Amino acid sequence: MKSLKNHISLIIPLFAILFAVEFYFIVDKAITEYQKNMSKDYSIIVVSKKPLTLQELKAHEPHVVSLKEVDSSLVINRLKQNGITINFKELKNFLPKFYKVYLDHFPTPDEIKKIKKRLLTYKTITRVEIFLKVHEKIYHFLVFLHGISQIFLFIVFVTSILLVFKQIEVWHLEHKERMYIMALFGAPLWMRNAILIKLSVIDTLISAFLVYIIYLYFISTDYLKNLLGVENINITPGDIFHDLLWLMGLGLLISVVNVIIVSLRQPRI
Amino acid sequence: MAKNVIVAKDLYLEYKKDTPIIKESTFAIKSGSFVFITGPSGSGKSTLLKSFYGELRPRSGILQIGGVSLNSIKPSKLAFLRKYLGIIFQDYKLIKEWTVKKNVMLPLLIAGYSKNVCEAQTARLLKHVRLEGKEEYYPLELSGGEQQRVAMARALAHNPVIILADEPTGNLDEYSSRVIWNLLEGANEQLGTTVVVVTHSIPTNLKVPFKHFYIEDGKVYEIS
Repeated sequence: MKSLKNHISLIIPLFAILFAVEFYFIVDKAITEYQKNMSKDYSIIVVSKKPLTLQELKAHEPHVVSLKEVDSSLVINRLKQNGITINFKELKNFLPKFYKVYLDHFPTPDEIKKIKKRLLTYKTITRVEIFLKVHEKIYHFLVFLHGISQIFLFIVFVTSILLVFKQIEVWHLEHKERMYIMALFGAPLWMRNAILIKLSVIDTLISAFLVYIIYLYFISTDYLKNLLGVENINITPGDIFHDLLWLMGLGLLISVVNVIIVSLRQPRI
Repeated sequence: MAKNVIVAKDLYLEYKKDTPIIKESTFAIKSGSFVFITGPSGSGKSTLLKSFYGELRPRSGILQIGGVSLNSIKPSKLAFLRKYLGIIFQDYKLIKEWTVKKNVMLPLLIAGYSKNVCEAQTARLLKHVRLEGKEEYYPLELSGGEQQRVAMARALAHNPVIILADEPTGNLDEYSSRVIWNLLEGANEQLGTTVVVVTHSIPTNLKVPFKHFYIEDGKVYEIS
């Protein structure tokens, strides 16, 4: 019973850390996927005096992946609807070329301003519309989400590390006599602390598997599937399994480093 | 002529600053000798023994074990040195979560012997201390005398150069005490192991020649 209590005392903080880390991984993955989807939908409008080719544009702006000419009749039709009476056939010849330009990623507001500047240096381009306000709103929302998940991770990490440290100190105290005896017979530090490492490895594995099972359940719920499905974000059991390996590695690192710190803090025998 | 295996020169030991337990003591213990350290309670007998296995470092003076200075010894070197020592305590200091067999094996495991060697040596020693058949027992399932015999077997397991014993028979009945003295005498006589025993009273029926150091007012005197 006491042993179980001791294990739970380490499993809970380790679980909290790994849960927060996995939460951060998932939010990060969702944001990255969302940004990818956004970059597919997001385009800037380039107005050019002459027809443009992708190669020409790429030479000035390497982030451009494709461009699509906006049919000028759409512009003319809008003017027609507004009741403007001019010779539309003639106008069509004089109208500049409009292009939707797609980028290889979802840029930051600063990046997009730089892209606009670079595009405007090309002599045939007269205007670039980047829809900065809309873009900035979305971008800042994503940054906010990312930041929140980082703060959550940081708070959980710091408090849980302290709990892990305290628990390993308790274990150290419980096994002090055994370590003392081993030291008297010349056991090296790693051998004396083998019991603590063994206990923390077991608890790390249990914590990591618990986190894995819980997230596996979460991503299989209809609620989360629908929520992520709306934005075409796909998080698979494979992704969670891939993270499990990272979580195990991180958990082991935290445990072993704590064991080393606790044992180095003890007076020499 | 036998070499000195423990050398102390103007040795000064203390736990608290300026409260010496052992002071200005100079002595030497020869290799292969059987030594008793006696003195009144609180005179510093156990403290002196602690300094021999490096748990307490000298405040000043010189203390050498097997030619290695313990004054500012590094932990890794101290761990190495301890592989040549066998230590016995009044309260046995057995690992209670381990079986008798594993307790005896401890120094061999630390020294890195193979499992087969560990098993064979442990079986031989348990027979030697008359504990065959109790390999799988836990220390708390044994009597005091039996526990001390396990501690004795553990101290002998790795053929130490020096055995340091702190009141090894302090908690034992006459029969168990006799067994322990016989084992210590045997190690000294047959294997040439240096034996240093801290005790209140020297046994009367010892067969081996021995040296006697006495501690009084923090100073170590060689009596015989």
